[in-house]
Amino acid sequence: MKKLIFFILFSSLIASIALARSTGCKEGNCENGYGKWIYTDKTTYEGEWVATKKHGQGTETWPNGYIYKGEFKESQWNGIGILFFPDGSTYEGEWVNGFMNGKGTFTWSDGKQKTGIWKNGSFQE
Amino acid sequence: MENKKQVFGKMEVSKNSFKTLSEPVKQFGGLISIIILIFLTFFILNNIFGEGDELVAKMKIEEERIAQERKLNKLISSLPSGVLVSFDGTDNFKLSDELYEAVCKATKLIPQRAIMGANFLNFRAHEIYTINGNKIDETFVKWDDEKNKCFAGFVVSGNNVGVDETVKVSGEALSFLSTGIDTRVYFIKNF
Repeated sequence: MKKLIFFILFSSLIASIALARSTGCKEGNCENGYGKWIYTDKTTYEGEWVATKKHGQGTETWPNGYIYKGEFKESQWNGIGILFFPDGSTYEGEWVNGFMNGKGTFTWSDGKQKTGIWKNGSFQE
Repeated sequence: MENKKQVFGKMEVSKNSFKTLSEPVKQFGGLISIIILIFLTFFILNNIFGEGDELVAKMKIEEERIAQERKLNKLISSLPSGVLVSFDGTDNFKLSDELYEAVCKATKLIPQRAIMGANFLNFRAHEIYTINGNKIDETFVKWDDEKNKCFAGFVVSGNNVGVDETVKVSGEALSFLSTGIDTRVYFIKNF
């Protein structure tokens, strides 16, 4: 029984170390400069960092296929950027605090487009 | 009066003839009587408390459900690990129409990134989700027989700036993640 408990604890320790090694700053400088960070759910960010925050130009790739390329401020999608949806649809335009806010064009995967003003992810008619 | 005497007489004869029976025959008769009594007792109890045909029907439905689940689990374990998609134009594993339906029916989980992705186009849902510490009330994955499509979604509720709100977000489930053990909805197209 003691051996089993020891084995479980030891395995957990090894798994934690392995996970810790595969996440975090993997390339470059993730404090001030240009670097690549890998999160535990395999989301990656590659781009500019200021005071350990995503700030400037960068690319965030989610494991389920969403890709954002563009400006970041205070670690959020802020400024001009393009979001690729997993099915091939895109939104290119202005972003505020992680949402489509301002002028932008949404293009569906079948080519249909909608251009105009967006507010918190909704198209303003 | 005469008839009564005759009946009693016959009973007396039967009693005497029973007494004349050998011991093993008597014991066998007793055993048969006990068995009949037990059957009768269960028959009466079943009529009073049992569900009879209804219970059998329920058991059959449950057996069919278990068999269907086993079939789906076998199919899921045969799929490649990774992202499974129902649309064209990606490097990921493309599901056939038949597999798409089967994967949809076998899938129950919706991970956080899929929820966050769907929230891009539903700010209210995003706000409640964030305020509640990423808590989800309910998730669902359903196959629509009429539209031949898989739909998935979630419900968030909570107090947002003093107002109790419940928001349901749903859309077409277009991609899944196969872990080798189970499948999860990976992309909900709610636009």
